[in-house]
Amino acid sequence: MIRNYIKIAFRNLWKDRTFTALNIIGLTTAFGIAFLLSMYALFELSYDRFHENIGSIYKVYTDEQTAKGTESSETNPIPFADALREEVPGVDKISRYVTGGTLLTYDGETFQVTSAGVDPEYFDIFSFPIVEGNKTNPISEKLSIVISRKVATAIFGKEMPIGKTVMVQSEGENVPVGISAVFENIPAASSMDVDVIVNIKNLPDSFYKNNLNNWSAHNHAVYMKLANGISPAQFEKSTKDFSALHYAENIANAKRDGAQADAKGNFRQIKLLPVEDQSFVVIKDGLLSVNKTLQYIVLGIAFLILFIASVNFINMSLAKSAQRLREIGMRKTLGAGKSQLFIQFWGESVIVFIVAVVLGGFLAFTLLKPFQTLFNTSASFSSISNPLIVFGAILCVLLITLIAGGYPAFMMSRMDTLQALKAKLKVNGNNRLRNVLMVVQFSIAIILISGTIVLWQQLDYLRNKDLGFNKEQVISFPINTKQDPNNVLQLLRNEFSTDPNILSVSAADNNFGLGRDGSRMRSVLGFDYKNRQVSTHLISVDYDYAETLDIELLEGRSFNRKYASDSLSVMINEAMVKELGEENPLNANLFLGDSIKYSVIGIVKNFNFESLSRGVQPLTLFMDGESPMGYVYVKVVPNNLADTYAGVRKVWNKIEPDTEFLGSFLDENIDRTLKRERHMTTMISSGSILAIILSCIGLFAISLLVVSQRRKEIGIRKVVGASVSTITVLLTKDFLKLVGIAFLIATPIAWYATSKWLENYVYRIDLNLWIFLAAGVMALIIAVLTISFRTIQAALKNPVESLKTE
Amino acid sequence: MLLELKNIFKWVTQGGKRIYLLSDLNFKVEEGEFISIMGPSGSGKSTLLNVIGMLDGFQEGEYNFLEQPVHTMKDKERSKLYKEYIGFVFQAYHLIDELTVYENIETPLLYKNIKSSERKALVADMLDRFNIVGKKDLFPNQLSGGQQQLVGIARALITKPKLILADEPTGNLNSKQSEEIMQLFKELNQEGVTIIQATHSESNAAYGSRILHLLDGRRDNT
Ligand SMILES: Nc1ncnc2c1ncn2[C@@H]1O[C@H](COP(=O)(O)OP(=O)(O)O)[C@@H](O)[C@H]1O
Ligand SMILES: [Mg+2]
Repeated sequence: MIRNYIKIAFRNLWKDRTFTALNIIGLTTAFGIAFLLSMYALFELSYDRFHENIGSIYKVYTDEQTAKGTESSETNPIPFADALREEVPGVDKISRYVTGGTLLTYDGETFQVTSAGVDPEYFDIFSFPIVEGNKTNPISEKLSIVISRKVATAIFGKEMPIGKTVMVQSEGENVPVGISAVFENIPAASSMDVDVIVNIKNLPDSFYKNNLNNWSAHNHAVYMKLANGISPAQFEKSTKDFSALHYAENIANAKRDGAQADAKGNFRQIKLLPVEDQSFVVIKDGLLSVNKTLQYIVLGIAFLILFIASVNFINMSLAKSAQRLREIGMRKTLGAGKSQLFIQFWGESVIVFIVAVVLGGFLAFTLLKPFQTLFNTSASFSSISNPLIVFGAILCVLLITLIAGGYPAFMMSRMDTLQALKAKLKVNGNNRLRNVLMVVQFSIAIILISGTIVLWQQLDYLRNKDLGFNKEQVISFPINTKQDPNNVLQLLRNEFSTDPNILSVSAADNNFGLGRDGSRMRSVLGFDYKNRQVSTHLISVDYDYAETLDIELLEGRSFNRKYASDSLSVMINEAMVKELGEENPLNANLFLGDSIKYSVIGIVKNFNFESLSRGVQPLTLFMDGESPMGYVYVKVVPNNLADTYAGVRKVWNKIEPDTEFLGSFLDENIDRTLKRERHMTTMISSGSILAIILSCIGLFAISLLVVSQRRKEIGIRKVVGASVSTITVLLTKDFLKLVGIAFLIATPIAWYATSKWLENYVYRIDLNLWIFLAAGVMALIIAVLTISFRTIQAALKNPVESLKTE
Repeated sequence: MLLELKNIFKWVTQGGKRIYLLSDLNFKVEEGEFISIMGPSGSGKSTLLNVIGMLDGFQEGEYNFLEQPVHTMKDKERSKLYKEYIGFVFQAYHLIDELTVYENIETPLLYKNIKSSERKALVADMLDRFNIVGKKDLFPNQLSGGQQQLVGIARALITKPKLILADEPTGNLNSKQSEEIMQLFKELNQEGVTIIQATHSESNAAYGSRILHLLDGRRDNT
C-alpha cells in the first residue's frame, strides 16, 4: 500500500514538474531563510541564559523621581552594594561590576584587552567557570588578575599562565601583576564579555578608595543573586527604608525642585532587572524598559515567509486537484476510504515538504557565513541546538506540513464520488479560499514593502541629519598609550601642525558615536544652581574643540590659550542655557563639584553629542587641564580623505608604535550607532523581497492554471471577435482586484506599525500616504507583470488551437 | 434474489421545480442474470446504474441488496457492501493514468487490505485470463481503447464481485472490439456473475437474458 502511494506520488510529482519545481523552489527558499532568521532571533533571545542561576540573578538599578519625570539609573556608588547586603534582607550574593580597557605587556609584547572590576562573589553569581589556577577565590589577592583562556593562549601560547607576571597599565603607569587563574572563554551569547577580570578594590584610588564613603559618585553596575523564597517585588518593596536613609539629600533636593513621588509615594525606587533581559534594555525618555521587538519581528518575518510559501502550496494543490478529480472518483469507486485517500494525497505533500526542508537546511548552511557577516552575529546551528529548540523546530515543520499539505488532501478526500468522476468541481468554494489566501499574502508583502521604505527613509534621515558638528571631515581616535597621554597629545599636535592636510586638532575625554574601540561613556553631574537642582552632561575638552568640530559659537568666546584662567571657564550649549533658566548666561557662574566656581565664557549651538535616540541634553564643556584626554579629533581637508587618514595613522604609529591606531571618521562612528537600524532594515527588506518573490511564484502558478482551465473560453471569445487586450484584461482583472483589497487591508496596519516604531526616535521622518501608495503600486506592478507573462501568451494563441484540444 | 428496487423516486430541484431523474421505478434482479438497460440518451440509464451501484442516492423508495436495506444504511456500511460485492466498468474506462496495467488491476485489492503474496497471485491470474501479461507494465495511454476496457473489466473482476455494473462499456469501441467485450461478459455470466449493462445498441442488448427499457426515468413498457 505504502509503496503504491509513494510510487504514484513520485509519478504525479514528475508529471506536474513545473508545479513541483515551483513549489520546491518556493518552500526551499522559505525554509532556508526562515531557518536563518529564526536562528538569529533565537540566538539573540538566548542571550545570558547560560548562567546556572538564571531566574534568581538580577542587575540592580534605580528609578529616580526628578523634576523632569522618572529617570532610571543603572550606576551606583561604591558603598551601595555592601550596604544593600547588610541592610536589606534577601541578598544572597552581590557583586559590583565595572568595565574598561587596559594594556597588558608580557615579554615585550603589548596586548589591548577589555577588563572588568568585580567583587569575589561575581564568580558565584555567574557561570564563568575557572579552568586553571585558584578556583575557590580567584581574585582574592592584591595585584593578581584572572584572564580568559583566549587571552592566556594569545599571551603565553602553550606556557602555563598561572603564576606568571604581566605588566598592566594603570593610570599611565605599568604595574606588575600575577595571573591567579584562567576562566573558560565566555559564550557568544553573553552580554558580559571581557578578557581580564580584576578585583574592583584594585582599581585606581580615584575610582575606588577615594569614594569608599561617597554616596553621590555613581560609577559602576551592581549584580545580585536573590535569596531563595524572596520575590523580586518583595525585595524591591523592602528597599524603601534603605533608599530613604542613604539618599536623603537627593530626595530632599528632588522635592524642592518639584519632583512628584511615584505611585507608591517614593522618590527613589531600587529595582531588579533579570539578567536575561539586560541585553534588551532600552532607555526611552530616561526610563529603562526591556524591548525584544526586533527579535520578535525577525521571528515574525520568518513565519510570514513560511506562511506565504505554504499558501502557494495550498493554492497550487487545490487548483491542481481539479485535474485529479477522475482519479479521486475512480479510487473511491474502487473502494478507497476517505482516510486512505487523505493519506495518499498528504503523502505527496509530505514528500515535497521533506525535500524542501532538507534543501532549505542546505541553503541555510551555505548562506550561514555571509549571513553572520551581514548581521554581525555569531548565531549558528550549534549555538541554538538545544533539545528544546530542535524539538520545537521539528514540531513546527510537522505542523506546517500537516496544515499546508493536509488541507488540500482533506478537501480532495472529501469530494463526492460521482461529481469527481464526472470531473465536475464546485469551483466557487475553492476560489473563495484561494482568494482570501492571496489577499493575505499580498497584504503581508505590502506591509513589508512599506516597512522597508519607511525604514530606509528613517535610516537615511538619521544618517544625513545635520548633527551640529562636522562629521565628514573629522577623524577621531583613542589615545591608547603606555606613555603620558597629555605628552602624546602634544607630540601629535606638533607633528600635525606641519601637515597642510590637517586643519585643526583637539581632544576630549569622550568620543562621538561609536568608535572602532567600541567604547562609549557619559558623564552626568547634578549640582545646585540658584537653589535649584540642575543637571548637565560633562565633556572635558582641549583647546580648539569647537573649531575642530565646526560647532557653532552663538555668544561669547571659546577656550583660548591667551587666557590663563580658562581652566576655570566653561562653555555651555543652548539646552544648558535653558536648564539654567538664565537670561544672561554669559554672566553665570557654576559651582561644579566641590564648590569650585566656573564662569561661563561661551554658548554653543546644540549639537548631538550623544546617540541619536536621545535629544540634545544640557551640556557643559570644560577644560581644567587635569582630566585625561581619551580621544584626539583631527579635522582634515575635504579632498583625499583616504590619503589623509593614512597620514594620520602614520603619525600615530610613529609616536606610539605599540598600540593599534583605531581612528575613524565621525560619520562612520555615527553609522556604527545605527547598527540596530541597519540590521533591521536589511532584515525587513530581504524579508519583503522574499515575500514578494514567493507571492509572485504563487500568483504565476495560479495564472498558469487559470489560463489552462479557461483555454476553451478564451478560444471561443477570440472566435467571436475579442481582442488580445480585452482577453488579457479579462484574465488579469480578478487578480488585480485581490491586490487592491490587499492594499486596503495592509495600509492601515503598516501605517500603525511604522508610526509606532518611529515613536522610538526623537528625530524621525513624517509618514505620508505616498510611502504606502508606492508600496501598493509596486505590488500591483509586480503582480501585473507576473500574470501578464502567461495571460498575454494565452490571449495571443490561435483560437483554433485552443479549441481543437478539447 | 440479489437486489430489489421498490418505488424509487429520484429528483433534482431546478428553479423551484422538481425534475425527475427516476420516477416510481420497480426492479428485481436475481443472481446470475444478465440484464441490459436500454433507452435513448438522457433517459436515466447511468442514473439508475449509479443508484444500484450505491454511488448515488435517491429521495423516495426502498432498495434492498442481498436482503439488506440500502436506503437506511450509513455511508460506511454501504461502501463496505459495494466494496465486497460490486464491480464497475465505465464507458470511458476510467483507468488511473499514473498507474501501470498491473497496478490498476491491483488497486482494489489494496483498498481491501489483501496480503501482498495473495495480491500477486490474483493479479497474475487475471492478466493471464485476459491475455494481457505482456502489457502489464504499460501505462493506459499506451493501450488501445479495447485493451483499456479489458483492463477496466479485469480491475472490476479482481475482487470477485457478485455484480458487475457496466455503463455503456463498448460506447467508445469499434464493432469488433465490442463483440469481444460482449463475449467476455457472456462467459463471465455463465460463470455465475450477475451483470447489468446500460447500452444503446440492440445487438449488445441481445447478449443479455432480459432487457429493461427506460424513458425519462420511467420503465417504458410500450
Ligand atoms: N445532477 C443532475 N442535475 C440535473 N440533471 C441531471 C443530473 N444528473 C443527471 N441529470 C439529467 O438526468 C437525465 C438522465 O441522465 P443520465 O442518467 O445520464 O441518462 P443516460 O445515461 O440515459 O444518457 C439527463 O437528462 C441528465 O441531464
Ligand atoms: Mg449515460
